[in-house]
Amino acid sequence: MNPDEAKLALWLEDELHGEELAAFETWVAENPEHHAAREEARRWQAMMAAAVPATEDPPYPEFFNHRITRTIQELQPEPVPVSATGSGFSWRSLFMPLAACAGMMLAFWMGGKRQPGMPEIDVTGAPRAIPVEPVLYTPEGGVKAEWFTSLTASATVIVLDGVTAIPDATDFSKTAFLQQAREIDATADLNSEPLSNGQ
Amino acid sequence: MNNPSDDPSKDVREPVGSVVPGDMSEDPDDDFRLVARAQQGDLTSYDALVTRHRGRIFAMIRNMIHQEADAWDLSQDVFIKAWQALPRFEAKARFSTWLYRIAHNTVYDWVRKRKIESVGELNDGIFERERIDSSSFTTPSGGESPDASMVQSELRAKIEVALGKISPEHREVVLLKDVQGLSYKEIAEVMSCELGTVMSRLYYARQKLQTLLKDEYESR
Repeated sequence: MNPDEAKLALWLEDELHGEELAAFETWVAENPEHHAAREEARRWQAMMAAAVPATEDPPYPEFFNHRITRTIQELQPEPVPVSATGSGFSWRSLFMPLAACAGMMLAFWMGGKRQPGMPEIDVTGAPRAIPVEPVLYTPEGGVKAEWFTSLTASATVIVLDGVTAIPDATDFSKTAFLQQAREIDATADLNSEPLSNGQ
Repeated sequence: MNNPSDDPSKDVREPVGSVVPGDMSEDPDDDFRLVARAQQGDLTSYDALVTRHRGRIFAMIRNMIHQEADAWDLSQDVFIKAWQALPRFEAKARFSTWLYRIAHNTVYDWVRKRKIESVGELNDGIFERERIDSSSFTTPSGGESPDASMVQSELRAKIEVALGKISPEHREVVLLKDVQGLSYKEIAEVMSCELGTVMSRLYYARQKLQTLLKDEYESR
């Protein structure tokens, strides 16, 4: 037997097993010069293995793992409703808009079409909008109220006769809220310096 | 990310040493059990997988690009991409081999992007080992005498410089074979090439490295 280069390379790296190894060992026994090459390979590997670590934990290993987990969680797709996960294509989703359109067209057609058995209605004598006279209510007795309206001016005026005259001295501030500038700043002076402790 | 190396007191790197092929300390069956649960959406199981493999992936990427902060980010990308591709993972290969494959693609995509962004500025310097960052691994591993640690640290520094002088493909095959302990077949899967190509690359990579490290290698 004269093994090929590939088999020799496998033997040099201790990658031959079983019958293949046994057969090769028989051949190597007659060719002892290959033992030196094998020892050379082993010596080289031992030197490399001793000098260069195969395993080296990354800095901050816990953070390393945590970041991977967080990224994976961020990559997870949003939960999809069950109804949408079925076949991916639904005939119902195609027919629903079509059915809606057809329904609308039918409704318009039905609305526009005159029923053959129905009598035609004459609307020429139909009542028009009639101005309604408003009812005026005055809480104070003896007061007469009149109203005047102008369609052209689109205005309505109500005249109250008998209402007691309002004295000039009446203080309207007591009956209506009038915002004063002082009230805004009454509780805080925005330009003042904060008080120190003990003041 | 912020540069984690700013605060050395929080640097908790723990070099464990090279993997002996067939080492059962990380049983692949455990990986498959965790993968099965993670494929059902169990993030806790996936977190356990990350913890089991982050050291190898980070070491591999850092040895490839020799920039710790970028290696940190790229290692994260590897695990995020792995999560996204997890439904397609079949137990035909070891989970770790599959991760190395994703790491391979991630690193080469990153290098390609960097080259495009820096046309005419860096050329092929992205992989150059001369640009080793200040946070390169020089701390001694536990259980060694100070002298032995110093010798190992010096040797590692020299190996890193030598690795920077060979092509990325040669560097990767050496790291996967001699440091990570993958078989030829697994390396072929990771690098997506023929078995013969892996053998050829490893042969020439070792020859060149042994020439570059002649003094250190012959003194051992």
